[in-house]
Amino acid sequence: MTRRIWAIALNTFREAARIRVLYGILVLVLGSNLLALLLGQLSLNEPGRVARDVGLAGISLFGSLTAIFLGVFLLYTEIQRRTIHAIVAKPISRWEFVVGKYLGMVLVLSVLVGVFALAMIAMLTVQGTGVSSGVVKALVLSWFEVLTVAAIAIFFSSFSTPFLSGIFALAMWVIGRLAPDLEAATRLTAPAIRITTKIALEIVPDVHLFAVSGRTLDGSAVSVNGDFVPWSYVALASGHGLGWIVALVALAALLFHRRDFV
Amino acid sequence: MPDLAIDVHDLKKTYRTPFTRKKVEALRGVTFAVERGHIFGFVGPNGAGKTTTIRTLMGLIRPSAGSATLLGHPLGSRAARARIGFLPESPYFYDYLDVGELCDLAGRLFGLAPAARKKRADELIEKVGLGRARNQSLKKFSKGMLQRAGLAQALMNDPELVVLDEPMSGLDPIGRKEVRDLILELRDHGKTVFFSTHILSDVEAITDRVAIVARGQLQAHGTPAELVSRSLQGVDVVVRLVAGGDPAATEAADAALSAGAVRTRRVGDELSLTLAADADVDAWITRAHAAGGRVLQIAPRHETLEDLFVRQVANADRPAAGPGAP
Repeated sequence: MTRRIWAIALNTFREAARIRVLYGILVLVLGSNLLALLLGQLSLNEPGRVARDVGLAGISLFGSLTAIFLGVFLLYTEIQRRTIHAIVAKPISRWEFVVGKYLGMVLVLSVLVGVFALAMIAMLTVQGTGVSSGVVKALVLSWFEVLTVAAIAIFFSSFSTPFLSGIFALAMWVIGRLAPDLEAATRLTAPAIRITTKIALEIVPDVHLFAVSGRTLDGSAVSVNGDFVPWSYVALASGHGLGWIVALVALAALLFHRRDFV
Repeated sequence: MPDLAIDVHDLKKTYRTPFTRKKVEALRGVTFAVERGHIFGFVGPNGAGKTTTIRTLMGLIRPSAGSATLLGHPLGSRAARARIGFLPESPYFYDYLDVGELCDLAGRLFGLAPAARKKRADELIEKVGLGRARNQSLKKFSKGMLQRAGLAQALMNDPELVVLDEPMSGLDPIGRKEVRDLILELRDHGKTVFFSTHILSDVEAITDRVAIVARGQLQAHGTPAELVSRSLQGVDVVVRLVAGGDPAATEAADAALSAGAVRTRRVGDELSLTLAADADVDAWITRAHAAGGRVLQIAPRHETLEDLFVRQVANADRPAAGPGAP
């Protein structure tokens, strides 16, 4: 089982590595880091803050958009180009195929996030600000955010077209990110709206858990530039993300199992 | 009860169109069996249900009703798929791989060890004639080369049953002959080969049994000899019209000899005819000599698989026709 999943994952990695858009995104992120370096010089003694905020925002934004892009296309193109015909006729279960595709995406996205993170760390080193434990924790959280968004995208891709899957996944990511704000905004509205919003937010993955810098948690301000969350929070949030990933990939596998490949 | 590689019972597949939800019956109760060690040809016109049947057998499509076993296992069995090689119709592969990498991926999915994968891939790439294109990406392959690459990946697990959907499609005459030889070689090694095709001469040349499918139903099933009638269908004759270069006399001789013939074709002064099965051939020869003609060839004409195919497909197209209708 592991060997078959690994074979699909490696092949997916090779496939994704040939997508030129990814190299464009890489250039964009590296460019935004250089821009942050420049903006840091213009700021009032806060070059480190600018570099950290821009770097982490870049990882979250571009990493998640890449995850959506890969998630909605990599599974769909297998069906559209019929490359899947020769694969599923071999002794591999469909769930193994879906898991392999997801793990291939995990490999690609991990390499991307790794390169983004290295670029940010290099920038902070050039500035002489150094890398705090808060930055490392924020990087781990961003990585889990990107992997969760990839799972959302592959879930929609298992039964929908890339266009619709992209819209749904993007909407889920944005709503998940804004969940605490949406909940706060409906606090003073009618009970029906409040309850409906609450229920709706329950079925959206809590990606806001991964972007805590600048928020208030348990009455305390949390910032990557100051007091950040403890490692226990990172572990809990990552575990929560992992739960969503397992559930979404399992659902994708279930839906994929029922599909006809005509 | 013979040892069966494929056993299909009343297989049905109904689709619904995306927007109108109209029912489309792709398979309307297909039943047949393929004995182990046989070459089985599955023929039919476009849209007959050949590819739907094959995709259902290979687990790409779920049947709406009916059942089937492959090598004694029910549809969808992974144990069966481990012993089957499959070439899809107009195969599409990952175009960033070369043929060696494609075979390696197939070998990994079949659970082969690295050394075995490499050895088997090297053998098969040479066997299908892609040794020179080994380092080219599949993106640069012609349709025929892709077909060969598809055959190589299908045989990586040294399968007991080989299922080939249109294996001769896109191949030139030499390529077709090589595939035919490969199929025969597989049979000689005790493998069962099930293949679909439009090319009836290939079916007649190599199959042990044939099934004709049209409109989602089996129309005929048996050995080529059982299926085609051995009774005389007519007499093919070729005659040279010798009229001393007089065009009017040649035309007159043509008209006299063609009268009552089933079919005529004339190239220069050479006239080809098919006389009816019950025609008086001796009388016709006498007439030909009297008209100044020289008889070059006389041959009995029996039914061919093509005649049977055309007849069965025409029957299927008739509204009230059913399987096995005359």
